[in-house]
Amino acid sequence: MSYNILTYTIYLPIIAVIMVKVGWRFYTHGEVFLMHVFQHNTPLVKSINNLLLIGYYLVNLGYGIITLAYWETVESIPQMLNTLSEHLGIIIIGLSLLHYNNVLVLNYLVKSKTLKQ
Amino acid sequence: MENSKIIIGYLIYLPIVIVLTIYVSKMLFKNGKYFMLDIFKGKEDIALATNKLFEIGFYLINIGWALLILKITYYSSKAMSSQTLIEILSKKIGGFSIYLGIMLFINLFFFFRGRRKSRQAQKMVTKTPTYNVQNK
Repeated sequence: MSYNILTYTIYLPIIAVIMVKVGWRFYTHGEVFLMHVFQHNTPLVKSINNLLLIGYYLVNLGYGIITLAYWETVESIPQMLNTLSEHLGIIIIGLSLLHYNNVLVLNYLVKSKTLKQ
Repeated sequence: MENSKIIIGYLIYLPIVIVLTIYVSKMLFKNGKYFMLDIFKGKEDIALATNKLFEIGFYLINIGWALLILKITYYSSKAMSSQTLIEILSKKIGGFSIYLGIMLFINLFFFFRGRRKSRQAQKMVTKTPTYNVQNK
């Protein structure tokens, strides 16, 4: 068994756990914001939230899986750790950027809604 | 030997892709029902029929695309190693999953757009009479 496959088996569970946990947090805490934006229209907010969660999972897990295709060949344990931390870092930073972007947009929406009223 | 690896790849790829498509479109149109009811202002038969038609279109586009990108091309004198198989599969499944996510967001965008349009139409209908009354 080559080092590459070992790296993949370490990488995939970590990324899956991070993404599922982060997505679940967004799902539960974002609902409050959406409730404000859509004037407490509960079934609509529930369905929007579900769809956003599914889209988030699809895109992020897809990206996480697709990085496997472009992984460099790993030849030793230290190199394995290097590449692992590099790829995980890229994905986590990307997630955080998306997250801040989301928070800013939601904040803007809630503010513009409250100003209108 | 080389061929058998490719066939294993297909056997892994097809169930994942088809199950993913069916699950996503089931969820999308279970939740899209509320949008449709909102857009058609509670005319339930038209809303549900439109929803069903959209769902069939979603299935057709996505399963068609999944089958279109099925082919695994591998040109090498060496037999395919399982690492290469994993990498090819990850490219295909990950790419398809991102594609599906983007399709989902496009659909969601259409829902929002339809909802906004129907709201605008409603507002215009209710607004015009009051405006006329004020003019008098």
